[in-house]
Amino acid sequence: MKKLTLKKAFSLVAVSSLLSLTIVSIPTVARAADPACTTANFVTSCSGVTSDSAPYSMMVPANFNGTVYLYSHGYRPNINVAQGIPGYGGYVVNNTPQPGPDATVIGALLAKGYGVMGSGFARQGWNADSGVKTNVELIGLFKKQFTKTTKVIAWGHSLGGFITQALAEQYPNLISAAAPMCMAGNVGPLSTMAGDALWGLKTFFDPTIKGGNYSAGLAGVVEANQDLAKVFTVIGSLQAAFAANPTMPAWPATSKVPAAMQAGIPSRSALVLVALMAGVPLQSAHFDSTSAPSVLPASSQTSFQLAINPAFAALENIGNAAALAVLATHDLELQAGGVYYDNSKTDYSARLGDDAFVWNSALSGNTAIATMLGYLAAAPRSVASPAAVAKLDTLTKHTGKISVPTVLFTGVADPVTVAGNTQWIADKYAAQWAAQWAANKAARNPKRPTNLLLTIWNFTPAKYTVFTAAGAPDTSGPAATGTNHCNFTYSQTMAVADLLAYASENGTHLPGGALYTKLRKAGNMTIDKDFHAPLLKAVA
Amino acid sequence: MIGKNRRKRTWFATAVLAAGSLAMSAMPANAEVGVSSNEIKLGITIPLSGAAAPGYNKLGDAMNAYFKYVNDNGGVYGRSIKLIVKDDQYVPSLAIAKTNELILKDKVFALVGSLGTANHKAVANSVGLARRGVPDLFINTGFSGFADKKTYGTTFPLFPSYAMEAKIMAEYIKDAFPGKKLGLVYQNDDFGIDALKGFAQAGLKFDVTVPYTSGTQSATTAQTWVSTLAAGGAQVVVMFGVTSATGPLLAVAAAAKYPAQFILGSVGGDATTLRALGVPAAILNGAQGASFLPSPADTTDEYVKLFQEVNTKYNNNVAFDNNVLVGMNTAMLTVQALRAAGKNLTRAGLIAAIQKKGSTFASAGLAPLNYSATSQVGYNGYWFGQYDLNGVMKPLSGGVVVYTTDSGTGAVVKSSYKRPAMPAKGLPTNS
Repeated sequence: MKKLTLKKAFSLVAVSSLLSLTIVSIPTVARAADPACTTANFVTSCSGVTSDSAPYSMMVPANFNGTVYLYSHGYRPNINVAQGIPGYGGYVVNNTPQPGPDATVIGALLAKGYGVMGSGFARQGWNADSGVKTNVELIGLFKKQFTKTTKVIAWGHSLGGFITQALAEQYPNLISAAAPMCMAGNVGPLSTMAGDALWGLKTFFDPTIKGGNYSAGLAGVVEANQDLAKVFTVIGSLQAAFAANPTMPAWPATSKVPAAMQAGIPSRSALVLVALMAGVPLQSAHFDSTSAPSVLPASSQTSFQLAINPAFAALENIGNAAALAVLATHDLELQAGGVYYDNSKTDYSARLGDDAFVWNSALSGNTAIATMLGYLAAAPRSVASPAAVAKLDTLTKHTGKISVPTVLFTGVADPVTVAGNTQWIADKYAAQWAAQWAANKAARNPKRPTNLLLTIWNFTPAKYTVFTAAGAPDTSGPAATGTNHCNFTYSQTMAVADLLAYASENGTHLPGGALYTKLRKAGNMTIDKDFHAPLLKAVA
Repeated sequence: MIGKNRRKRTWFATAVLAAGSLAMSAMPANAEVGVSSNEIKLGITIPLSGAAAPGYNKLGDAMNAYFKYVNDNGGVYGRSIKLIVKDDQYVPSLAIAKTNELILKDKVFALVGSLGTANHKAVANSVGLARRGVPDLFINTGFSGFADKKTYGTTFPLFPSYAMEAKIMAEYIKDAFPGKKLGLVYQNDDFGIDALKGFAQAGLKFDVTVPYTSGTQSATTAQTWVSTLAAGGAQVVVMFGVTSATGPLLAVAAAAKYPAQFILGSVGGDATTLRALGVPAAILNGAQGASFLPSPADTTDEYVKLFQEVNTKYNNNVAFDNNVLVGMNTAMLTVQALRAAGKNLTRAGLIAAIQKKGSTFASAGLAPLNYSATSQVGYNGYWFGQYDLNGVMKPLSGGVVVYTTDSGTGAVVKSSYKRPAMPAKGLPTNS
């Protein structure tokens, strides 16, 4: 059991949490069909490699109850990342298998008699097709190795959540329950979100950022790394400018926005516009878009709440999401064979929509909004290669079809895999359920279809920004609940695991009071059938 | 051991509560969220703190005072009204959070009188009031878009729209100040844009326009506004902003001895709020403004008289101003809406009742209410007046003359509307 009590190596408060995790030390990988197994402390640990070269790990306790959790890990970049990039610096591509979210959760599941398994996948980057294929094979390998297996529960975070949903849609007979958590959405809308954010940063703050159209081979890797450096230079400049003069922060020296526009519009408003047009939330780990330092006079507090706090939130969220956007863009262009991001016809005014009114102060008013949108309208656009778009379209896509009990769980202010991904699935399932119910009624069958979907939201608190005695934002504390990428507690993760176990066993979700009690005990898990997270901009 | 027992009891109590909530969810179909046999729970978010609080922070207490008056006189079909007031600080994201609390935690039956265009737009979209079927009554904003039934199906605006106000104001200015150079200070968001639409519709052009971003208003920024207006030679200046912007504008203009005639939009023209912000009444003296309600100082008005009495008895006799008047008037309309919905109160029934009978509700408003099956527009008219040395707005030319219009291309016309008499003792008995 010693291996299972390893220090928790999984930081849940940063995008770096998506990077490789070595949470189980595995014996030398044998490239053979049969896994190599060892048993210690009443746990049998097996490892091996699937036919597509994905290393995997399986763990089963001596009192195995027949149910196994199949975990799909999140996004790992497909290229090495240079030192110095926040969250990613020094990353080396790896496909270390990951049989659970972290060692503590794995230990808890094993202690309850469950098995766990997971692979490192055959390739990194956007790997949904390959991930589903690997998982299908892994289920077979597990059942062959542990013949007592009766139920397979699929779960995963982020891109692993996407893979989990895709597996559930394509192979519902292989699993008995699924939990895509903080899930990524279909690659089209998701890459548009990333592309819009990068294009906005490039257009407003540094036109030398490529933001896509990367060269093939090593040259492209170098360009992507250069983009990462430039993006974080911009973010660093904005951070310094915000700290120096939050009311009228200067524009980065790399910006080519006309001097008159820079003089009239604070750079923070341009950043807020980038966040809004891309669909990045304006509540971040430490900025709630509602608080102001108490040391400010009342009139300035309102201004801080309305105009400045949201800009800090945009900065923190984009800082967390931008690197992933660069790395994913590079990877997807490789897979698509060219530029797939196209904003040649995008109307950013329409994209902004009602946000222009709701966040009017943060955007410095209608005149500033019109000026910024005018600048974007005149800026060079990205034009996709039709062949690349067609190729990208062949990658696995969700349909939203749900055939096994499914738990969706996400933070409403996740800046990377925004809550709209989860909402999209929930909407699709609502339509599926309604159609089934209509069909039942037409067939004079009075039975309502079983509800297979449980959508759980991790809401943000109303206020959580902390300020120092001098009134400066204090970001040293943990990220607020509902913010950051896949920012879930151990209790929440285990609550999801328990709900899955029940659903797997009973073919339906835990009902009524027992369900609400479990969620309440786990904390910050809310079911609200009427809550509707904003869909991704390219979908809405 | 004691601790252990306590823990057990707590656990047991929690389980009982959970079972109770299950039982609640199995209540008869006619049971409605926020309605019990003896209580109706309503909610409102307004700025109770922050820069926008002065004045607006009186709305909740004023509404509660009238509700207490009604509760002391039998309530609504035996149910007392409980209004839960939350502080949104005039910040949209906080308004969303607080409204979510009202709906999900406090489980209110309906929202009443919520305030602010940006706030309410954020709430309506993000919280999904129409999707949830939550009645959103008599909101405190004149943004014309809220009357769009398709988008805001459960929302009932109360105020005439800013576009209506601007159209009526434009006709008044053309009439009263021909040939004068005109200036406009406006909030550069939906609030101001709605007004710009109205001025444009009425064909009124301004020689100098000064947009300001909400939240940036201060004495310092007002210096710039006044400099710009003076440099442009504006002789008549329209202020279409909140009171926290009107205050510095008037104060700076007075200090600079800038001799323009100021015309204040209804939102930023509340005298007591301006005085609370440090604007002496003498500075307000001579400015003109618009209102759809009687003057709060007009004790010959039966509604004002009644509300002043309620204010004395149930609201600690706070300074009776436009905000208190708006709050109590909103509460009186709410009681009529609840009564019109009948004893078997449902959200859908409440909405239907306002659509069917809302235009007949008695209220202090001097313009008609326009609710119907196809319209969610509230009042649609204004009268003009001039502030005196005490900051009281009195009708121009001796009497209240109300003009009405719509938010579109309709003409501005002199109203012949006859306000319904106040229910006896101000206690509605409608059904």
